[in-house]
Amino acid sequence: MKEKNDSKEEHITETMKKLAIARIEAQVPSNLRLSIGSYGRMSKEEMIEHINKLDEIGRKIVESQLRFLRAQASGHLTKELTSIE
Amino acid sequence: MKKGLIITLPRHDVVTEYLTQFSKQIINEAENNNIPCKQLRDKEVEKDNFEKIVRSIEYKLFVLNGHGTAQVIYGYANQPLVEEGYNEEILTERITYARACDSAFSLGKVAMKKNKEGCFIGYELPFQFYCDITWEGNPGKDKVALIFLEPSNTVPISIIKGKNAEEAHSASKRAMLKNINKVLRKTNPESLAIAEALWNNYEGQVLLGNQLAIL
Repeated sequence: MKEKNDSKEEHITETMKKLAIARIEAQVPSNLRLSIGSYGRMSKEEMIEHINKLDEIGRKIVESQLRFLRAQASGHLTKELTSIE
Repeated sequence: MKKGLIITLPRHDVVTEYLTQFSKQIINEAENNNIPCKQLRDKEVEKDNFEKIVRSIEYKLFVLNGHGTAQVIYGYANQPLVEEGYNEEILTERITYARACDSAFSLGKVAMKKNKEGCFIGYELPFQFYCDITWEGNPGKDKVALIFLEPSNTVPISIIKGKNAEEAHSASKRAMLKNINKVLRKTNPESLAIAEALWNNYEGQVLLGNQLAIL
């Protein structure tokens, strides 16, 4: 029933998974829960579990991190942030 | 079409409870601006009931809170409320803000195909927010969730205040950038995680249809 948004998926490597997990371990405190679309809300441990399994939720989390890192690296994030000052 | 708001407030899990609690800002703004507001709560957020109310009161602005996919916006208990190929035409010629993930990717585009006056503001990516479990019993006081849900409320609130669709969409995106700036100035470890989720919503929020649509 819940179809995926396949056209935006990219190949997720083991390195990308490890990076995403390391970032979550360092940045997400135990009192926070992430709500991501239809998938409900999850603790950092559940986020990491989804990434390890690389299921649909895990893939979405990794892709989201990659988009942010690319925006930082390309200067796109900085450009957008300075546009409102 | 009449000047008025139909807002869906399904509360069948913690996420929809948060969306409902933070929708109070939108409802208050409608009241303050004398905009009639029809609230559909919990089990009332059901396809047949929604269609009946939409056709009977003909309000122009929809705020649809709930889970979603590229093809479906769900109502109470994750039952389809608006579904591509079944009833997406109900959104045509309306101003819709869909706080439901992915629904702009396909459903919004299909709904706007035969549209002239209306618009669809939603997300091409999964809408994300962090919440603090400390405030699970009182979501309205959750300052972490506020960082995400206040900028999203800016879309319908701006429209209620008389802005057009493009102005409302841009104001919401600017509010997201302001919040990214604020959290990145802090030194706590969760700042990057929060900024990243906000950036996801910033990149994912799109306006389809008539950019000049006005209530």
